[in-house]
Amino acid sequence: MLLVLSEEHKEHLSFLPRVDSAVVGEFGRIALEFLRRGSSPKIYEGAARKLCVPVETVQRGVEGLMYLMTESSKHMISKVDFLDSVLVLGFGEELNQILLQLYLQHHSEIRSILSQLPSNLPGYHNLEWRLDVQLLSTFPPAGLVSLQLASRAIRQQVVPVLTMRLLLTGGGDGTGELSRRVLQTDPGTLLHLISTLEGALAAIKTNHARRIFRNIK
Amino acid sequence: MRFRFCGDLDCPDWVLAEISTLAKISSVKMKLLCAQVLKDLLGEGIDYDKVAKLTADAKFESGDIKASVAVLSFIFSSAAKHDVDSESLSSELQQLGLPKEHTTGLCKSYEDKHSVLQGKLRETSLRLGRLEGVSWRVDYTLSSSELREVNEPLIQLKLQTQGAESGSTETTVVSVSADKFRVLLAELKQAQTRMNALQ
Repeated sequence: MLLVLSEEHKEHLSFLPRVDSAVVGEFGRIALEFLRRGSSPKIYEGAARKLCVPVETVQRGVEGLMYLMTESSKHMISKVDFLDSVLVLGFGEELNQILLQLYLQHHSEIRSILSQLPSNLPGYHNLEWRLDVQLLSTFPPAGLVSLQLASRAIRQQVVPVLTMRLLLTGGGDGTGELSRRVLQTDPGTLLHLISTLEGALAAIKTNHARRIFRNIK
Repeated sequence: MRFRFCGDLDCPDWVLAEISTLAKISSVKMKLLCAQVLKDLLGEGIDYDKVAKLTADAKFESGDIKASVAVLSFIFSSAAKHDVDSESLSSELQQLGLPKEHTTGLCKSYEDKHSVLQGKLRETSLRLGRLEGVSWRVDYTLSSSELREVNEPLIQLKLQTQGAESGSTETTVVSVSADKFRVLLAELKQAQTRMNALQ
């Protein structure tokens, strides 16, 4: 499939043929660093000074290059399609080849970076648990005074309690900090939880799910 | 196949795979590696340079080094968790394909550090809101805006706990009147008697 580049995008990229190929290679490197770690204005300022062009031109050129790379990687376009899409920009053959090399070398890395981006659901990291037995407590629930007196006399009351601390990654703020949730349950609910989760795992093995997995590939 | 050191469950596939990696280093180096891993489990830190030197002869890549440390950590902590004695651990590891000399070295290290390891695991077991410190002060209120002569003792209690959800230290300050404090003290003493009875 061919990439359709907007007029604005083409305009941003029109800066590239005006500099020589070494600079384009350098821009490619900056664009990839941008993807990996974000950019800093100092890099653009340094390049702008050396090339005697305004900072925005450099910035737009680099960002245009980065957008070209991400869109190409996202759609996994073939070599031929990439060259055809770039042809539209009217660049020289050498520049087209440089862009192609940049794409081929880095597209799988770009894809893996892109796949990590939309993670705003918290993900499982770890579960710590502890099984306790509650023997006695002081305050009875409001309406059960008589029951509590009886159990205080018996002193044999044994209530098993499972305490869990669930550690989650992500958690929406994207800082990589782990968020914690403390949960408590009784054995009955725990068994129900386990059977529900096992049911979910078993659902992956049904024919319906298998057919879908086969087709996604 | 159920293994006691895996908690009567199947042995995980990755453990099986990495046991064959462990077999590649000599049994002497294996014993030294076990010592390093045990130090790490006991919270004394692991010396990665030493580990790298131990595995250099067998030409381990960084992935192999990480895998062997991981599998030894798993074996030790899982065996300690399920309170497996060293003979059973030895026979189970040999069933999984770990050579005899390696197994002997591993189990000897395990036996030596068995109770220390269990103590450490007990300490790191889940505890919510651990009490870190208590400080108190007894004040005597002379007078207030509501009543000219109050003349009553008051206790200020500062409790420092490890937050259950946040994991960082939280400070709670409460002021308790004399009567309420007597109730608090009586209840806590009752709870303490029960705790001592269980010890």
